[in-house]
Amino acid sequence: MPRPPPALTFTLHARCSTTRARASTLLLPHGPVQLPIFMPVATQASLKGLTYAQLRDAGCRLCLNNTYHLGLKPGKEVLDAVGGAHRLQGWGGNLLTDSGGFQMVSLLKLAKVTEEGVRFLSPHDGEPMLLTPEHSIALQNSIGSDIMMQLDDVIATTSPDLERMREAMHRSVRWLDRCIAAHRRPENQNLFCIIQGGLDLELRRECVEEMVKRDTPGIAIGGLSGGEAKDAFCRVVKECTGLLPEGKPRYVMGVGYPEDLVVAVALGADMFDCVWPTRTARFGNAVVPTGTLNLRNAAFATDFGPIDTECRCEVCRPVSEGGLGITRAYLHHLAGKETAGAHLLTVHNVSYLLALMGRVREAILEDRFPEFLKGWFERRFPDGAPGWAVEALAGVGVSIRGGEEEGKGDVEMAEG
Amino acid sequence: MPPFALTSTLSRPVARLGTLALRSRSPIQTPHYAANTSRGVVPHLAHDNLQKHTDIRALYLGLEDFIEKTPPRVPPVFEIHPDSTGSRLRAFTHHSPAPLLILGPRRVPPVESPAANTNATLSICTSVGFRTLDIEEYISAGAALQPDIIIAPGDIVPPTSSRKRAEKSTDRTDLWVSTMLTRAQETPYPAVFAPLLPLAPEQQMWYTQLLCDPDYRPHISGLAVYDTESLLDLPEELQLLPRLALTTPANPVAILREIALGVDLFILPFVDHASDAGFALDFTFPAPAPAPHADPLPLATSLWSAEHTIDLSPLRPGCTCFACTNHHRAYIHHLLATKEMLGWVLLQLHNHSVMSEFFAGVRQSIARETFEADVEAFSRAYEADMPSAAGPGPRVRGYQFKSKGHGEPKANPKAYNKLDDMAENIADATMPDPDIDAEELQEHGLGKALEDEEMK
Repeated sequence: MPRPPPALTFTLHARCSTTRARASTLLLPHGPVQLPIFMPVATQASLKGLTYAQLRDAGCRLCLNNTYHLGLKPGKEVLDAVGGAHRLQGWGGNLLTDSGGFQMVSLLKLAKVTEEGVRFLSPHDGEPMLLTPEHSIALQNSIGSDIMMQLDDVIATTSPDLERMREAMHRSVRWLDRCIAAHRRPENQNLFCIIQGGLDLELRRECVEEMVKRDTPGIAIGGLSGGEAKDAFCRVVKECTGLLPEGKPRYVMGVGYPEDLVVAVALGADMFDCVWPTRTARFGNAVVPTGTLNLRNAAFATDFGPIDTECRCEVCRPVSEGGLGITRAYLHHLAGKETAGAHLLTVHNVSYLLALMGRVREAILEDRFPEFLKGWFERRFPDGAPGWAVEALAGVGVSIRGGEEEGKGDVEMAEG
Repeated sequence: MPPFALTSTLSRPVARLGTLALRSRSPIQTPHYAANTSRGVVPHLAHDNLQKHTDIRALYLGLEDFIEKTPPRVPPVFEIHPDSTGSRLRAFTHHSPAPLLILGPRRVPPVESPAANTNATLSICTSVGFRTLDIEEYISAGAALQPDIIIAPGDIVPPTSSRKRAEKSTDRTDLWVSTMLTRAQETPYPAVFAPLLPLAPEQQMWYTQLLCDPDYRPHISGLAVYDTESLLDLPEELQLLPRLALTTPANPVAILREIALGVDLFILPFVDHASDAGFALDFTFPAPAPAPHADPLPLATSLWSAEHTIDLSPLRPGCTCFACTNHHRAYIHHLLATKEMLGWVLLQLHNHSVMSEFFAGVRQSIARETFEADVEAFSRAYEADMPSAAGPGPRVRGYQFKSKGHGEPKANPKAYNKLDDMAENIADATMPDPDIDAEELQEHGLGKALEDEEMK
């Protein structure tokens, strides 16, 4: 049966002559977005206190909503009546939704996957429920997201059960077929497949082959960000991007630490999402080129400088340049006490990651990405970069200075 | 321009039109209100939202929000370099030069302190607990922080206080205010608003006489009113001073009543409370002409109400605020239901916009000399009280309320449950008042309930 054309145009502008990094433009139903891109997560159709004007001013043109959460509130019926999630939240930019499956497994205890779908207990009354690929797609059709994700069989990459991993991978392929069949609006919404297979490269290769055959407009690499070692994560990303077609966007799901993003870009990935920058903002943490600052720390009480003197975001830019010029001291004063403080930090953190991806893109376009990487890692890890990053970048032809201790500066992955 | 000029003259308590122009701040037409702040911010409003999407002209700040560190440690607000307007308070809180900053010793309304004031100290509540504030320290803070207006310290006691306590209150206030006014003559100092105590006029007669003293009167820029009754029989010399009410009227009719008694400027915590409770204010002054025999209109719309679930209309038809021009009721209902912070942000933007328009309407009405009739029509058109809250608000913090001791319910509901609760839920099938049941979940299209299978 002839497939309608995808609801996106992917234009590759430049490839790094050393690494696998790419600079491209993705034209989506709600406007163009420039890749590589970080996508902030507006879980319940709202980005943690920010207005969509603030989000737009921060440079965001594509953010996430979570299908599971929107399915509970406001629910499919309301989404249909309102005319989709864009209209619900007054957002003229693009939306990407996950399948809802990940939340079943990560948020809900006692979820069980069968061929039919994911069985889980209602979070509200403990009643047994079932989420199928058809349900997930129907809900994402009601949401009207510009990019929707297939329902996949997610299990922790750290699972030692290779048979279960293989089963999950094959099931994800079968579910993709069911998702494609159930998709009612392919001319307006793009359905991405999700490569599974855990940390087993053979399974990943097999999965890529099967998924690519289905010719979805974009491709996600899933099942990562579940607490696996960073070197294993990098190997999987590199293995997959090596096999994926050039002409489609590649999305690594649930990845959000700055060092993870720049390495994954070098490995050939284009799109990322993570709740970490927005969540950590609510804990009083500001993302800066050297790492993070916990502004609740008493040391910041009389620090009257901006979060980051180089940052061009609304919060950091001095008043003389049209910004708010908010000091660390005042954010310390508000941290944990007034939500407006969290809003300001969220604006900064989101802006920081969007701007970081902007600089990465510029470096790729000007073919100086390897130099960018070196400079960036020197600054972020003055005592030497963590082993996994050194190794991963060496694998794509860039040598950065490593630290003495293995895994120094390594931090746990966040997910949500 | 004089600091405060009245357009209307008066011989009896009457609504007044005025212009308050202090320092180089842009003048404020009165009657008007100052937005209340918590730790320097209007609750829920980041600075960019405040500047771009509100018409707030004045802010009230309580010093107790800035002085967790007790002497000899210096609170950070005293260490920052003053901003272009010469104010450390403005520099620290990052407000633009536009709004007038009004500093008082305490939040409005203050959390009741277990300890009484002394001859030389006020009892205050900081975010880390109760402490005392030396009057001397507060007076110095005026010079150091340079707000536009500082409210002179008063020994504020309940109107029901004994005669003896009332006397002590006036004696202390007498001393404290004269000390501040003396200081104001020696150093560059903010405009001083002297308190009128919440006592009958005759009980504070000696004190109000002091304020009229030629040594002091020229250095008083306004009055801080704690009870409008104190405005009765006010000496002639004090009549023309602007009056800032800390009476916190709880609804527009109460505001109008106080305007009629000659109040010029208000602090209105009820606006922020309305937002927290999920209300969009919905009144205009003058009131629209009512349909004959119509029931009084509610003052606010509860966005908690399920009737807004798919309502794509703005909070108030024709409203030009950011919330109404960018969003609809269905979204704000959704934000409240999901406890997303943006719900309160949008309601604040709307509610403060409604208040700005309300006061603009009041001023026009006074100028037209139809105020009395308009107030009467307003009282007939609208319900007297704000509706009661239909859902929970944002988390409250320790410095916002006072614990009454053992046995009181939790101020904030538990945010998280152990995952194991889920297992218990299965064992205990009859959950009390579940938010939503599986059938509803199924209707929402999230999944379908399994009929006869148990979870393995």
